[in-house]
Amino acid sequence: MNDFYLIVKNLTRKKMRLVLTSFAIFIAFLIFGSVMALNNALNSGVEMSADNRLVVTNKINFTQPLPIAYVSKVKSVEGVKDVTYANWFGGYYQEPANQVITMAVDPDSYFDVYSELILEPGVKERWQKHRTGILVGERMAQAKNWKVGDRIPVSSNIFSQKSGGHTWEFDIDGIFKGQDKQTDTNYMVFHHKYFMETQAWGGDYVGWMIFTTTDSALNEQVAKVVDERFANSAAETETKTEKAFNKAFIEQIGNIGLIIFAVVFMAFFIILVVVGNTMVLAIRERTGEIAVLKTLGFSSKRIFNMVLAESCLLSFLGGVLGMLAATIIVKGASAELASFLPNLILGQSVWLQGLAYMLLFGLITGIIPAVSALRLNIITAFNRI
Amino acid sequence: MSSVFSQSAAVISMNIRSLPRRLWMSLAMVLASAVVVAILLAFLAMAKGFESTMQSAGANDVAFIIRGGSAAELNSVLGRDQVNLLENAPGIAKDEQGPIVSAELYVIVDGKKRSSGTKANLPLRGLDLRGVNMRKNFALEQGRMFTPGTNEVIVGAGVLRQFSGFDLGSEIRSGRNSWKVVGVFSTGGNVFESEIWADAKVVQNLYNRGSSYQSMRAQLEPNADIQAIKDYVKNDPRLNQDVQTEADYFSEQGKSLSYIAIFGRIISTIMALGALAGALNTMYTSVSDRAKEIATLRAIGFSHMSAFIGTLAEAMVLAALGGLFGVIAAYLFFDGMNASTLGGSFTQVVFSFNLTTELITQGAILALIIGFFSGVFPAWRAAKTPVIVAFQSSH
Repeated sequence: MNDFYLIVKNLTRKKMRLVLTSFAIFIAFLIFGSVMALNNALNSGVEMSADNRLVVTNKINFTQPLPIAYVSKVKSVEGVKDVTYANWFGGYYQEPANQVITMAVDPDSYFDVYSELILEPGVKERWQKHRTGILVGERMAQAKNWKVGDRIPVSSNIFSQKSGGHTWEFDIDGIFKGQDKQTDTNYMVFHHKYFMETQAWGGDYVGWMIFTTTDSALNEQVAKVVDERFANSAAETETKTEKAFNKAFIEQIGNIGLIIFAVVFMAFFIILVVVGNTMVLAIRERTGEIAVLKTLGFSSKRIFNMVLAESCLLSFLGGVLGMLAATIIVKGASAELASFLPNLILGQSVWLQGLAYMLLFGLITGIIPAVSALRLNIITAFNRI
Repeated sequence: MSSVFSQSAAVISMNIRSLPRRLWMSLAMVLASAVVVAILLAFLAMAKGFESTMQSAGANDVAFIIRGGSAAELNSVLGRDQVNLLENAPGIAKDEQGPIVSAELYVIVDGKKRSSGTKANLPLRGLDLRGVNMRKNFALEQGRMFTPGTNEVIVGAGVLRQFSGFDLGSEIRSGRNSWKVVGVFSTGGNVFESEIWADAKVVQNLYNRGSSYQSMRAQLEPNADIQAIKDYVKNDPRLNQDVQTEADYFSEQGKSLSYIAIFGRIISTIMALGALAGALNTMYTSVSDRAKEIATLRAIGFSHMSAFIGTLAEAMVLAALGGLFGVIAAYLFFDGMNASTLGGSFTQVVFSFNLTTELITQGAILALIIGFFSGVFPAWRAAKTPVIVAFQSSH
């Protein structure tokens, strides 16, 4: 009969209590895992942004356009490596509710600036020569079941064709993939020039510009030079790193996100407090037995370890199952939510945090009864019964 | 029958008076129930606040017209010629100045949030005085109306509350343009209070919009059918607009935060299961703690029923107490809490959490459900335990 056998026996002596307690821990970690995954997905744009990539927008607001002439002016700034530009298309597929992220971009430079996007050899060149061609991100192609060679109608909820109507037809020339799994590929890009020539108002503007610097240490300096170049012009600019731009965008959602996460985390901890309380009481009930063990010659240290091991075991039992369930749920949900939460993954870092909380929880709930077991005086204990 | 009542009453009072003996377990159950209720209410109050901010903005007797398929005002474009054609649609009310319509446009400008100091999108709406008068709850709280043709603006009370730099008399810079705040308005707490209003012609001019607009509102004649305008648009090849009542448009926009309510319900249901597990633990402990007591009562002639009801009542009281604390906490922390988020038109909507009595009822029901299920199984055990076993098991 080894210690582990005793620990398991203690744990399973009241089956009902074991089931209920581990179920409550299970629920706590299920919520923890899913909500952390959700939180990471919302912030993934910030984490995935490249160090040396900057975004130039109109100073009034990023929905206001910039003159296309700005592109070459930015290109001539020292420290700038590649410049590209894009315009929001407001795309939807068949139904207005069925939005598809679509941008009109510069075919020559877009994939230089977004170097983490990978195309098969020859595809880019073919697309660059094909005016009505479109390149679709892998995730969008999967979600919509589109293949290379398909001709797709994409409507705009903002722009109209010169010939009337809001629908453009595109040929899918290729599908771009992300360098790693977290790269956002839930969008598609087509020729900016074709867009400008066919949309009703025409014009020589771009929505925003994106450029890379030769060294991320130069970011701040280059951003300042760019903004100064356009100061006091008809369209003043604001240049930010991609990370800062994405962060500002997330912050627009505002304190709502913060409130949700604060509330859920409070819930997580309070469930643990409630369950922890039960666990502490459960072990306290056994004062008499611990006194017997001590009488039989079990050292105080050994009993201390056994009590701690028991509470940790219980914590990991419920916790690991909860995290597993969360992983399965997140996996299921990520397929459903792919269009607006592309990076919903319960990754390693969440697991590690979860395991750390389980250990902490096991230790905290175990330490009080373990210390009192350690200090327990056999005679007083027997007197109490 | 009356003896069942008096017996049950006696057992209930006994159980409740013995609660301090199981203080920690009982507190845990109260806390668990309180948290579940508070969380449910926080989410629901958030969604409710947003929804009522949106929905109260729309009128049933105003037609709202935007470009076909554009879904939100921000995306839409209406040319001056289209606006002229639409003015002549049937069913639009008229006064001495002609049809009561308002063509409006919408530019996004930056505002700085008071809470975080970060920039956020604010709508700068260009409209004329006829458009202002079409908002039924409109009232100037401070200052005066903007003078048409000037760079004066009036700002919504919500903007003033959540964003800095919009106080009466201050200058707002937007690119090279500057605006002067001459008034603060309210519209009864709805979404228009999250906007800045200026003269439509000046906005067109300063933001290079030519003579184009984005949306049009038209006052319907009493008992007029909006279908007549829809048919009018359909039969004219120069028009391709979506026509709906303003109420329908905003009620659709109000749904954009309904995922919060769904999310809240899912989270609190899952949490309720966790809380239920904790509460069941408490109640089973309570039954085994009182095993001897229950056996004694049964031995002196109390019925199965009274043991059952006594335990169930204890669970319900604890859960209800938790529910009460949960409601109070939600009320203190969340009711009236100001928040702002991105709405359907890509701009900030300022709203307050709204903890209605209907939501409180939902919270109370949840607490009672937890109480019932955490009580009924242990109560069954209490009622069924044979007298002799109870005496044996409790030493």
